[in-house]
Amino acid sequence: MRHPSEGVLRRLVDEPAGVTDDDRAHVASCPTCLRALETTRAEARLVDAALATSGSVDTDAAWNRFATTAATAPTRPRAVTAAPRGRWLPAMRRPVVAALSAVVLVTGAGVAAANDWLPIFRTEQVDPIEVTSSELVELPDLSAYGDLEITSEADPQPVADAAAAQERTGLAVPEVSELPEGVTGDPAYQAAGVLSATFTFSAEKAARAAAAAGDVLPPTPAGLDGSQLRLHAGPGVAAVWSQPTGVPTLVVARVGAPTVDSSGVPFETVRDYLLSLPGLPAGLAEQLRDLSADGGTLPLPIPADMVTSSTAAVDGTEATVLTSRDGLFAGVVWVKNGVMTGVAGTLSADELLSVARDLR
Amino acid sequence: MQRGRVDVRTDLEEVFRSHYARVVAVAARVLGSRDSAEDVAQEVFLSFGRSSVPADEAGGWLTVAATHTALNLLRSGRRRSAREEAADDAPTVVPDVAELVITREERNSVRAALARLPHRQAAALVLRHSGLSYAEVAAALDLSPGSVGTTVRRAESVLLKELNRHASPE
Repeated sequence: MRHPSEGVLRRLVDEPAGVTDDDRAHVASCPTCLRALETTRAEARLVDAALATSGSVDTDAAWNRFATTAATAPTRPRAVTAAPRGRWLPAMRRPVVAALSAVVLVTGAGVAAANDWLPIFRTEQVDPIEVTSSELVELPDLSAYGDLEITSEADPQPVADAAAAQERTGLAVPEVSELPEGVTGDPAYQAAGVLSATFTFSAEKAARAAAAAGDVLPPTPAGLDGSQLRLHAGPGVAAVWSQPTGVPTLVVARVGAPTVDSSGVPFETVRDYLLSLPGLPAGLAEQLRDLSADGGTLPLPIPADMVTSSTAAVDGTEATVLTSRDGLFAGVVWVKNGVMTGVAGTLSADELLSVARDLR
Repeated sequence: MQRGRVDVRTDLEEVFRSHYARVVAVAARVLGSRDSAEDVAQEVFLSFGRSSVPADEAGGWLTVAATHTALNLLRSGRRRSAREEAADDAPTVVPDVAELVITREERNSVRAALARLPHRQAAALVLRHSGLSYAEVAAALDLSPGSVGTTVRRAESVLLKELNRHASPE
């Protein structure tokens, strides 16, 4: 029989009973596997030693400290570490991507742009898993269908305070009148300039993309080949409150809503044609559908399996309210006069709505 | 929603006292520092105090929560500074295995490698070395039980490169 995998050997070190009788019998009589097993065992022990720390704890002192803190601690944020099964991690990630990045992330900008923008809302502290994962990058990437040129980088950077953020962007950071329970301290401020990109549709590239998806390109409408879309988003500002461990509890952001305009063919024609293409990634299609010429709609790809969405009135306009299905995360986003404002965090939707409505 | 002061679970002190040392040890595996680990433990118990996790599941829950929280902290780079950790300076000597002396430098590079690992891989490694069974690690991280061994082994291989040496079977 084949040699058992390295994973089976590793388990054999810790839990021989968890390995099948066949595998155990094989290893016992196979010199190659026995050597590999011993190496695995020795290396596991070395790593264990490297991870070990010395010292003891004073549980009484720790309890006294805890009892003092707990007695004064607010009830929120409750859930940042409440991960009994770890399943909140992916659930957190999606809403972070959907709500936070959609607050600022640009529809139609390229991979590089997405990576540049993302650090503002990376929130890898909310979600220790890679927030900058490829799924995010694929959303706005139109480069398979033409040439995408970043004409202006957003260059997001931390800034000292709200005044500096305003000076850099011309946008006032919304001021929270009353912090929800559990959100304390001073926020960190971020500011980003305008991100612009030009997308030039290429029938040839689109045909290659279609062929790669095993299909042929639908007939290209007249004038489409070589027509351009100009995409803009920003500037943007954000204030981020975090726990001492770095987990953001509340993010308040304001950003120029993404807009798109076209030269030659109307944007709608380009969009509808792109949507008809075979092999277009679903996420990209959703973003395209939601993109508008006037920046009046929200490019929010909402993962329905993770997030429920509803609407509520904020600042005289209709806001989208997102709540993760596990209830750990929520966001409220709205657009007014071409400016998107978003409030998100490890809080309940009600708390965030009250923050949103009281912004100054 | 509850407002104001936290409603302390009646079983909190008992759970705290029986699990505190272990939770600190889990976080210290990630952070390499008792002081930072105690900060993490405080936060994890605060979360536990607000949760409705049954007391008999507290051990596993706390271990998983401590692992995630400590890995977050490790990645955020907000650990206490090296000077604050100087008290931890003594090399670790594994009892009964006198030759396994891990220097401070090696411990630091192992932590740096841990911070760079994909979160789930790092978490699997820490949970396993914290004594969770393969089935428990699988459940905590949504891994298939069969893949835990491979995940742990690969994480160990990455860390071993940082140790710049390989253990040889005796």
